[in-house]
Amino acid sequence: MGDCTDKMDVIVVGAGLAGLSTAYFLADAGLDVLVVERGDFPGSKNVTGGRIYLNPVRDLFPDLWEQAPLERHVTRERLTMMARESATTVELQSERFNRQPYHSYTILRAKFDRWFADRVAEKGAFLIPKNKVDDLVFEGGRVAGIVADGDEIHADVVVAADGILSLMAEKAGLREKQQPRHFAVSMKEVIELPRQTIEDRFNLEGDQGLAQLFFGELTQGMMGGGFLYTNLESISLGLVVGVESLMERDPLQEVHPLMEAFKERPEIRVLLEGGEVVEYSAHVITEGGIHAMPKLFSDGMLVVGDAAGLGLNMLMTIRGMEYALASGAMAAQAIQRAKEKGDFSASTLAYYEELLKDSFVLKDMHTFRHALNILENPRLFNLYPQVVCDLFEKLMWIDSGPKEGLFSIVFGEVRSKLLSFSVLRDVLSFCKM
Amino acid sequence: MNIVVCLKQIPDLQQIRIKDRRPLLEGAPLIFGDMDKSALEEAVRIKEKAKGTKVTALAMGGAKLKDGIKEALAIGADEAVLLMDPPFAGSDTMGTARALAKAIEKLGEHDLILCGEGSTDNYSGQVGPRLAELLDLPQITYVRELEIEGNKLKAVRNMEESFEVVETELPALVTVADEINQPRLASLRDILKAARKPVQEWTAADLGLSEDEVGAKGSAIETVSNLAPEQERKQVVFKGDLDEVTENLINALTKEGVLGR
Repeated sequence: MGDCTDKMDVIVVGAGLAGLSTAYFLADAGLDVLVVERGDFPGSKNVTGGRIYLNPVRDLFPDLWEQAPLERHVTRERLTMMARESATTVELQSERFNRQPYHSYTILRAKFDRWFADRVAEKGAFLIPKNKVDDLVFEGGRVAGIVADGDEIHADVVVAADGILSLMAEKAGLREKQQPRHFAVSMKEVIELPRQTIEDRFNLEGDQGLAQLFFGELTQGMMGGGFLYTNLESISLGLVVGVESLMERDPLQEVHPLMEAFKERPEIRVLLEGGEVVEYSAHVITEGGIHAMPKLFSDGMLVVGDAAGLGLNMLMTIRGMEYALASGAMAAQAIQRAKEKGDFSASTLAYYEELLKDSFVLKDMHTFRHALNILENPRLFNLYPQVVCDLFEKLMWIDSGPKEGLFSIVFGEVRSKLLSFSVLRDVLSFCKM
Repeated sequence: MNIVVCLKQIPDLQQIRIKDRRPLLEGAPLIFGDMDKSALEEAVRIKEKAKGTKVTALAMGGAKLKDGIKEALAIGADEAVLLMDPPFAGSDTMGTARALAKAIEKLGEHDLILCGEGSTDNYSGQVGPRLAELLDLPQITYVRELEIEGNKLKAVRNMEESFEVVETELPALVTVADEINQPRLASLRDILKAARKPVQEWTAADLGLSEDEVGAKGSAIETVSNLAPEQERKQVVFKGDLDEVTENLINALTKEGVLGR
């Protein structure tokens, strides 16, 4: 090399939320930052279900949220248990969720990330899309830069923000061999509908939004579930299935037909009528929680966001974007400190992990450390939704003869379907959440 | 030798969706057209052969041009001039040619002006020829091969049914067809270096142009509508015995002229 003009302070690989957040703070502090993105533009390769919770990250970006192109603020939460021919939905409609500052928004990342990237560029970071990073440069055992299309570009620190299958973390030896049980496949379609149709169909006023999660029959007993988010002028609809569950299927099952069957469900079909699919995508997502996290730092390198395994399925809520934004901010903090010391070794960069441990990020990861064990329980996806729906159906059904007493119906269902040792064990394991 | 390459930023056609026959341009990423890129590539190739050649990228457009021009500089332009000013907005081919001509005059001595034969979006193919007229330069259009020796320029033109070989003396204006070359992709390091190359921004006033000469006001042409052709699907379903269905399908496709031509 020797050409000093090619040396950056920091190179961030990947312009998703974690990478952009890192660059946002570092550029603001006056560091030379290069962000390299593989997609045509930031957000173009993103597959996110689509809702963000602002409270954990509101104060981190005081200037950002007011102008941000978010979709609808969520005021209605639905949880749907799907059985073979029926579905039971629990719905929360909360005025608290309708009060400013809003708690959670639906989001289209292709739109948001591009906008956020422009803000990052305004801060002075150098953003280059359509370029893939192939390898890392090592000097005396430390990470010292990246290799892209044969060119070496050097930096004091490389930040791996390249998503769940982080090639950078792998190249740096920070990631162990991955286990299929730690991953799920997520498919998503964005279906365009006129604004008014969405508001009428979902009973929404103005920019209010609805978020709905599904579990049960739609994954045919496999670990996973579905989601539906209302955007301003579209619906994000998706389905997630555990990779290990899929591998255990005999005969092997393709995932796409599950999505088609989900869309054909009577509960869903009516919601999509007249809509046009304008985007479809699929990606693996993390289900491993704290057990699937790589080492977060090494000499000259930090790992942030999905690349760091910072995603959680909390059953009722699915999280990742807040962790990405916060981990980026903390990585930036650690790098600034290293810059002041002029020392980018692992012992200085370890400060990043300390920050994460003191924050909601690793605390959440710890609290929900048993989530995967619970999610791997097939009864959650085949038995319980069916039982709930059957029971509800029996309670509501009037036959030609006399109606059975309500207690007798409930007791009969519970005794025949839920009185077993495995169910008792499930109840105990749910207590760990 | 001084070469000026004219470039137009257009919406990435692969990212555009048609709805109710109208293209949805909002939010589509902006890129340089294929033939514009070929013109730039040709200029850079000439520069690589003839030492002391300077390539100036000249483009007119909106705020996104500032970011977009980095690509031209990364591919090998030495400097860039951007015509970014509200009065330029909505210029037709005449207004565009006027602005470009003024900018080229302001740039000073030039030996070769390179343009794409047309933009990949509107493809009127007018800006190059109009520009040549305004600058009073010989013009050679639809060029697929270009050779420069000293003061002489030899070009092979694609006339569709034939190739025409012509010669002229520099200075001249050449519009290129995309078959002239395969434009290179800028490497990451080229893009980084490009950030340090000089970029000037000129307004209509800088060029001594009034608002009546460029932009929507200075346009002789008004776009009345811009609609995608209607595509009707036949939506025919053949049902029944496989052999019968196959035969019906083949008959239908033959009747439509898809098969057996």
